[in-house]
Amino acid sequence: MASNAIKSGALVTLPELQPSSEFFKEGASLRLTGKLQEYSVESAIAVIADQGATLKIDTQHLRELSFRIGSIFQFIGELNIQPNNEPILQARTGRNVDGIDLDLYYQSLQQLRQFQAKHMKIATT
Amino acid sequence: MDQKPLSLLHIHVKLLGFSLHSITPWPNNPSIFYLNGKRISRVEILGVVTSRDYKPNKFLRFTLDDGTHSITCILWLNHLTSPFFASRQPATLRVISDLAKCFADDIHFGKVARVRGRVSSYRGDLQVTVSDVVIEKDPDAETLHRLDCISLGRRCYFG
Repeated sequence: MASNAIKSGALVTLPELQPSSEFFKEGASLRLTGKLQEYSVESAIAVIADQGATLKIDTQHLRELSFRIGSIFQFIGELNIQPNNEPILQARTGRNVDGIDLDLYYQSLQQLRQFQAKHMKIATT
Repeated sequence: MDQKPLSLLHIHVKLLGFSLHSITPWPNNPSIFYLNGKRISRVEILGVVTSRDYKPNKFLRFTLDDGTHSITCILWLNHLTSPFFASRQPATLRVISDLAKCFADDIHFGKVARVRGRVSSYRGDLQVTVSDVVIEKDPDAETLHRLDCISLGRRCYFG
């Protein structure tokens, strides 16, 4: 079957988003979760943090979202790599996920990757 | 005694987007698909609404993103005008139409929606014809759905 036009945001954790990572590329569609550390109303740039890693999020298209420092947010968007190699996520969607069980979330990502790897292997053999 | 394998044909099969996009059409019936050799027709999916194309009194087409694939969903809103539904009881049609309008009002960009419906193919792409929508407010709903799909996949669909 043909693939859909709107790209899915791959589930990635902030510590995984290193320059050596397969996800660290211009235009990559990603879904990232973290605690809101900073937010500028003027620039609409937010900074989220998770397990010591941080990422800037351009939220100019998310004017209806209410940003509260310390809350946990999840964003889907495309990665923009700046000339200084700093990544910024151009967010398409964002939502407050306060109360999320992050340990369970990380475990589900591990399970998903194992399941996908096995499933893809079966599909290609 | 041999136990007959459980049929998935009339069950809403909980699937992740990437599994849904691995199904293949059954040649004899456009509403039946193969999932790892098992026939399915209905699915339950869950994801973030990442697009919304609304045509009043016609349809709402939207996309769900569950982190593995994007899934196109179509919610028909033309029950009272389309000849396709002419054979149904008018009172039943009104209920279905009102329900569909409620669903359409609930589906907003960035919300997490659980959708049940029939799988179909449109212009070579898979889509889900929506029969039921629940907007999820629990921040763990996606995680739990993901784990459900993996568990069912291992035990029932791909086991």
